[in-house]
Amino acid sequence: MQATEMKKYYLVIIIMLCLGRVSNAQISLNLALNSRPQPWLADWASPVNGVMVITLIQSAIQVDPAIKIRTTLLDQNGATVGISNINAARVYLLKPGVNQFTIADALQLQNLNLNGSVRILLQRTGRLAAGQYQLMVEITNTAGDVVRTKQTKPFFVASYQLPILMQPTNGSELDAHIAQSVITFRWTALVPSNELPTYRVQVFEILSGQTPMQAFRGNRPLLDEQAIKGTTQYIWRPNLPMLDSTANKRFIWTVQTLDIKGAPIPTADMNIQGRSEPAIFGIINQTGLNKKNDPVKQ
Amino acid sequence: MKYFTRIAAFLLLFFALHASAQDEKKKKVTLTGDMGVWYEGYGLDKTPEQSTPNFYQPRKPWNSLRYSFNPSITYGKWSIPVNFNFSMLQNNFLTPVTSGKQSIWQFLTNPANNFGISPKIGTTEILLGTQNLHYSDLSTGDLGIFGYGVNLSPGKFRIKLFNGVSQRPIDYVAPTILPPDPGIIGSYQRNQWMAQLGMEKEGKYFVGFNFVHAVDERNSVTSPPLTPIDPQENTIISFLATATTGNGWNYHVELGQSFHTRDLNTPLSIIPVEDFKPFMNAHTSTNKDNAVMLGLAKKGKDWEIGGKFNYYGAGYFSAGYPFMSNDRMEYLANTHFNAWKKKINVVASIGQRFGNLSLTSGPNITKQLIANANVFTQFNDNFSLNASFNNFGFNSADISGYKSVSNELSINPSYTWNTATMSNLISATYTWSKYDETIIIPASVTQNNTQTVLLLYVPTFFKAKINPDLSVMWFRNTAPSINLTLLTATGGMTWKAGKKINLKSQLQYNLSTTAPFTANKNILVTGGFDWEIYKKLTWQLLLTGNLYSYGTELPGNSLIPVYPSDPRYIESSIRTGLQYKF
Repeated sequence: MQATEMKKYYLVIIIMLCLGRVSNAQISLNLALNSRPQPWLADWASPVNGVMVITLIQSAIQVDPAIKIRTTLLDQNGATVGISNINAARVYLLKPGVNQFTIADALQLQNLNLNGSVRILLQRTGRLAAGQYQLMVEITNTAGDVVRTKQTKPFFVASYQLPILMQPTNGSELDAHIAQSVITFRWTALVPSNELPTYRVQVFEILSGQTPMQAFRGNRPLLDEQAIKGTTQYIWRPNLPMLDSTANKRFIWTVQTLDIKGAPIPTADMNIQGRSEPAIFGIINQTGLNKKNDPVKQ
Repeated sequence: MKYFTRIAAFLLLFFALHASAQDEKKKKVTLTGDMGVWYEGYGLDKTPEQSTPNFYQPRKPWNSLRYSFNPSITYGKWSIPVNFNFSMLQNNFLTPVTSGKQSIWQFLTNPANNFGISPKIGTTEILLGTQNLHYSDLSTGDLGIFGYGVNLSPGKFRIKLFNGVSQRPIDYVAPTILPPDPGIIGSYQRNQWMAQLGMEKEGKYFVGFNFVHAVDERNSVTSPPLTPIDPQENTIISFLATATTGNGWNYHVELGQSFHTRDLNTPLSIIPVEDFKPFMNAHTSTNKDNAVMLGLAKKGKDWEIGGKFNYYGAGYFSAGYPFMSNDRMEYLANTHFNAWKKKINVVASIGQRFGNLSLTSGPNITKQLIANANVFTQFNDNFSLNASFNNFGFNSADISGYKSVSNELSINPSYTWNTATMSNLISATYTWSKYDETIIIPASVTQNNTQTVLLLYVPTFFKAKINPDLSVMWFRNTAPSINLTLLTATGGMTWKAGKKINLKSQLQYNLSTTAPFTANKNILVTGGFDWEIYKKLTWQLLLTGNLYSYGTELPGNSLIPVYPSDPRYIESSIRTGLQYKF
């Protein structure tokens, strides 16, 4: 009998705890933030950066479904980098059950007061300085004075700088006797270079009457090869008749940098598909047949 | 298509305004320039024809045909330069191609094609069709833009206006697995407005402002590209001043500010950047940043010395230079001078480039050292020596501690001597190149050592119509996983077969060995002619065959299906061009 009595007590306690939880936590927050979101804060509406879910559980005791969001951006030491203006925050009316928001809604970029240097950097670049941050989201009543639930999530942000072409340098001239057999390409590494990206070396022939950019944007490349993973050098064996007068003497080259999934590295204009600023080089026959000078300036 | 109407209206207006201004006495038509057609056919025969992996891919289009029509017509006070350079085929790689046949508009705005006319009378120049306009290094100047505009230069004033399309509209097409098709990423039509207002005295100074506004037309495509290829908007304002003084000083200053909206689909917002009225309404993805270019040079009789400084803010973007790398600062000092009774010529430069100034890519700035020197010495009539040295060093900003250093030294002595019947040139080139890449986390060092030796002999017979050319090249590259040796022997010959025809041929044999494999062998044969058919008409032809046979680097039994011998391929090409000079 004692055991049966105890079971009843346990059941009552569990039910009371559940009821208590419902009445105290009728709004719950789940901030599913990508630990490495996109570097441009204006892009945070994209689902790739995560999602914010606010759940409203209505019970016998009705709660106010109107809420506001207060956002605080903290650096890795916990110091505040920016905080949203709760008075200007939008009022959301939650529907019972699951309410889904983007991470941009959590960030409230348009309502975020950032500290001086961070604000200036955001104005200039649309990004934060690379590093570890924390995003704290508080769900408050419409007056903003009662925090109903909150959550803090850390994230790391860094944008990329594409490689700069080193060799052949822009405007350089290569000896045709060597260049028709071998040309060495070198470039700087992707920054940051924590992940091993894929570099594709692409060389375009500048045809007769074409401008370099016309050839670059309109022609098919003579070379489109991947460098050995982790290296920033590619040795091209063209096997092209570069000594001849009808063979072209000008080329434009670039490096396309792809991430670990094979997607182009994000840049301000994605039409360029992760390609570095191109460089032009010429082939000159300094001695011997069909001697010509200075093809780059022709 | 509205551009067609605008171009036509602009042309009519221009001719109407200038009809009364023509000088009746000087209505003589003259025609200069040239026109031509170029064809290149390419063939690839692989043995085995089908295999996995596909060991060699075609590297040129099977057929490529280009036309050029570049006359410059003068009629009285008029001059009308025409610049047509186009192909009916779409070989675009870097910019998207259309899924089917391109429309006339897509054909005209294809970046591979150029259709430009620039009639000029007096101080007025009308720009129609494709124009490659360089306003300045920070505003616009890289791209061919199809549109219409005008250049006016009354007195010292310079007024330039242009409106056109710098990126053609292409619909997005989704990739498919069956049949395998990568799809088309698509692009929005990018419209660009440009203006320059300044004052100039040619050869003395220029001072003025540049304005460039570019916007992607969202309804230009029925199937828009997917994110992250988003519609954008960009405005640049720059101030440019250049001056040259009588005593050889040159000054160059440009200050630019860009406003850039990365995605017009993001909400309108005055945070983080306020509207730039009346040109741009700011979005959450709008940012603005600055760039600076400074240059100073002094030119003497036998020397020149100069320096330049460039700064590009991390958010500086110009639709006129879409590939421009920003977030960097660089300075460069350069010089060239003659010495020893002009027998020594020295060209040298040294500079440094700093990147990641915004620290958005890591905790530290990147550093890059750039140093070049070239010394040419003509010791006497027979002997000359050229020596050059290049150094590039790069330090990354992140915790990996990435560092690369490239050093290259090249020495090239040449000796010539004459006999009664012939002249001889013997030339040697030795190049030593070292390229080291270091990563601290995870610890890794890659050392690339490269040596190149070239020997060249060119006999020239004074009375013979045949001139040969012989060279031998040895190249070795060693790195932790690479030991590559190339050995190339080349023989060439030109033969003046007639007054108007030059025959030419070349044979090259190449051994390419990657240790521990046996050598890949390659024979390259070329032959052709340059023929002046008539006084103004020339015909060039070049036939090329390239036979490449793999060694044990690619054994036939590694292919699927297994091939019992060494895989090989033959590339053939015919390149020919007819050119007529007016």
